[in-house]
Amino acid sequence: MSVKALLCAVLFSLCGTFVQAEPAPTPEGLEFCTVCHGNQLKGNSNIAAPRLSGLDADYLARQLKAFRQGMRGAHPDDENGSLMRPMSSLLSEADIAQVVKWITATESPVPAPSITGDSEHGRQLFQSCAACHGANAMGNVQLGAPSLVALNDWYVVNQLQHFRDGLRGEQASDTYGQMMVAASKVLSSNQDINDVVAYINTLK
Amino acid sequence: MQNFTRRQFLSLVGAAGGTSALLKTSLALGLMADVNYAGPVSINAPTSNKKPTALILGAGIAGLATALELERAGFECIIIEASFRPGGRNLTVRHGDKIDEMGNPQICQFDQQENLYFNCGPARIPGHHRRLLHYCRTLNVPLQIKANSCKLAYFQDDKTFGGKPIRQIEYHADVRGLLSELVWKSANAKHYDALLSEEDVAKLVKFAQLHGDLSESGQYLGTERAGATNDRMLQFPTSHQPIELQAMLNSSFWHGGLLGAELYDWCEPLMEPIGGMDAVVKAFLRNLKKAPLLNAQVKKIYNVDGGVEVTFEQGGRYHTVKADYCFNNIPAYFMAGIDNNFTQQYQAGLNSIKRGHLFKIAYQMKERFWEKEGIYGGISYSADPITQIWYPSHDIHTAKGIVLGAYTWEPQISAKFEAMSQTERLQAGAASGNKIHPGFSQFIENGITIPWARINHQMGCGMRMDEEDFLAYFELLQQPEGRHLMIGDQISHHSGWQEGALASSEQALQQLNKLLVMHSQQAGGGRYVS
Repeated sequence: MSVKALLCAVLFSLCGTFVQAEPAPTPEGLEFCTVCHGNQLKGNSNIAAPRLSGLDADYLARQLKAFRQGMRGAHPDDENGSLMRPMSSLLSEADIAQVVKWITATESPVPAPSITGDSEHGRQLFQSCAACHGANAMGNVQLGAPSLVALNDWYVVNQLQHFRDGLRGEQASDTYGQMMVAASKVLSSNQDINDVVAYINTLK
Repeated sequence: MQNFTRRQFLSLVGAAGGTSALLKTSLALGLMADVNYAGPVSINAPTSNKKPTALILGAGIAGLATALELERAGFECIIIEASFRPGGRNLTVRHGDKIDEMGNPQICQFDQQENLYFNCGPARIPGHHRRLLHYCRTLNVPLQIKANSCKLAYFQDDKTFGGKPIRQIEYHADVRGLLSELVWKSANAKHYDALLSEEDVAKLVKFAQLHGDLSESGQYLGTERAGATNDRMLQFPTSHQPIELQAMLNSSFWHGGLLGAELYDWCEPLMEPIGGMDAVVKAFLRNLKKAPLLNAQVKKIYNVDGGVEVTFEQGGRYHTVKADYCFNNIPAYFMAGIDNNFTQQYQAGLNSIKRGHLFKIAYQMKERFWEKEGIYGGISYSADPITQIWYPSHDIHTAKGIVLGAYTWEPQISAKFEAMSQTERLQAGAASGNKIHPGFSQFIENGITIPWARINHQMGCGMRMDEEDFLAYFELLQQPEGRHLMIGDQISHHSGWQEGALASSEQALQQLNKLLVMHSQQAGGGRYVS
């Protein structure tokens, strides 16, 4: 065996000492998050797990709490939300703070567009959305409006449909959800939803 | 009993995708391909002086078998497993074991006894699963017969026969009798005269009479073949009152439960390893040179020059490791969340494999009450969401037993169970059990539930592809993507079965042999690029 081959074999058998990259490490006990949401929480469209990196801390914490208390994901038709709900049920306040800190430390590519629509029509529709989410759709923490460009476009479509169809934001105590239920009424059809999301895609 | 939809049926019994050329050839020779199995793939021995290397992603059955064959061929292997335990869906739980359901982790409360265990995943082995049986034989996994059907077990449907549980033998005998009666009538009404000679029609009439136990006048009036309603040892046997044709047609049992022991994968006798199906996992681990890395989640897979580079996270640290080849046993639907440089088409193929929704409940029963009803193993079928109740055929007449209280694979039904709390699941199962065995719930000491679509690192069982996707992608996914190969039951016609996993491993190793030749030639003969 040559020296080089020997070196390779030794290196190979000592895989525990391999070079460490620099991604945000997954906190202990939260490894299950990346099973669905993927490496660095980049999302997995294939199983409808949205990208989480790029969202602001307030929004993330609020959503985790909403899932935990059944404000989100409790509707029987909300298949993916109902999958998320038990995941959050075991999280303490401290856990949520830790999860959020980790999520905001992750970096992953902005998701590629998958929805097509009339972006010009979408631009017109987006005017009312821009009031809270910003003209660039980057969100507004003060108003509790998340970035829309950080999210997968199919996820935004799903959520708009959920607000419209009473799967999200139905509870009176869900202040932000209620606002979205009202706001989503601007979109009168699935085509409108696709159009506005197609416009958001042009802002990415 | 739930209807077996065609797709479920095909995906579960593995008939999807049609027959392979090999099977056709074997059939032409009068041999079944699976009976003609010649053993694992012989991997082309490396001729280089450098030890070839392989990364195995996932310590499921396919991953373990692939690693074993590669190690035997002189490869250095690293198995990278995301879970805290190896075995994948081959999971047997006993006292104190963790069921890693996301959001609902359970610790099994069965008594600490060797005979009290539950196979949460695969639980039965038919005699034609030659690959699995090869490993059981050569790796010393002792097997026992597992009764997969019991004619004294029940069918129960709220909508049929007043909800009363019917012994399967009565139903079987009545179905045979009623259908035979129809054949007898048609034959006598000369319906077959264009098809058969007079002599053959006479044979058909006789056949119908014997098959259905008909009277001389061709009527089915019940049969002693299904036992008697009185003590048939001391009294002249009285047959049960047969089901009427109309009632039989309205009953749901013929939708599925009737075929419970008729399908190729469920044809008797079936087998199980003594002491639990995870004996198969333990056997692989005993024979592997290097134990799998656990709690190591794969994050990146890149085909690079002369090999595959894989990054995994373990204990909050990312590690990157490179090898000549990579065998990937990770559920394909996770791959979109793992960085890679696969072609768009290959990734689209991986994305086409969807999550399955198998769900099981198991109860520890303080008494083996079913044995007092003459049931020793086998399955009762229910039209309720629980679908089935399985009775253990091992450790007969011992004090306690573990009963399977529900087993469903219809996504909508499993989803309902998934959405329930742990208590609700166990209560729903018990309520349906009571309909078959009054007092069922009073025997329950504790229970576990296994929603495979919510089990950490699995998120599904019984993966499925739409027919269109199957035609578009299945063969592509069997091919290497660079030096990376997918394995697992997901890359077989037999999702949800260990034999499918082993077949995928065999297929991948055949592909490896081609790659080895190709890469050896590229390197100028006898050497691997690394």
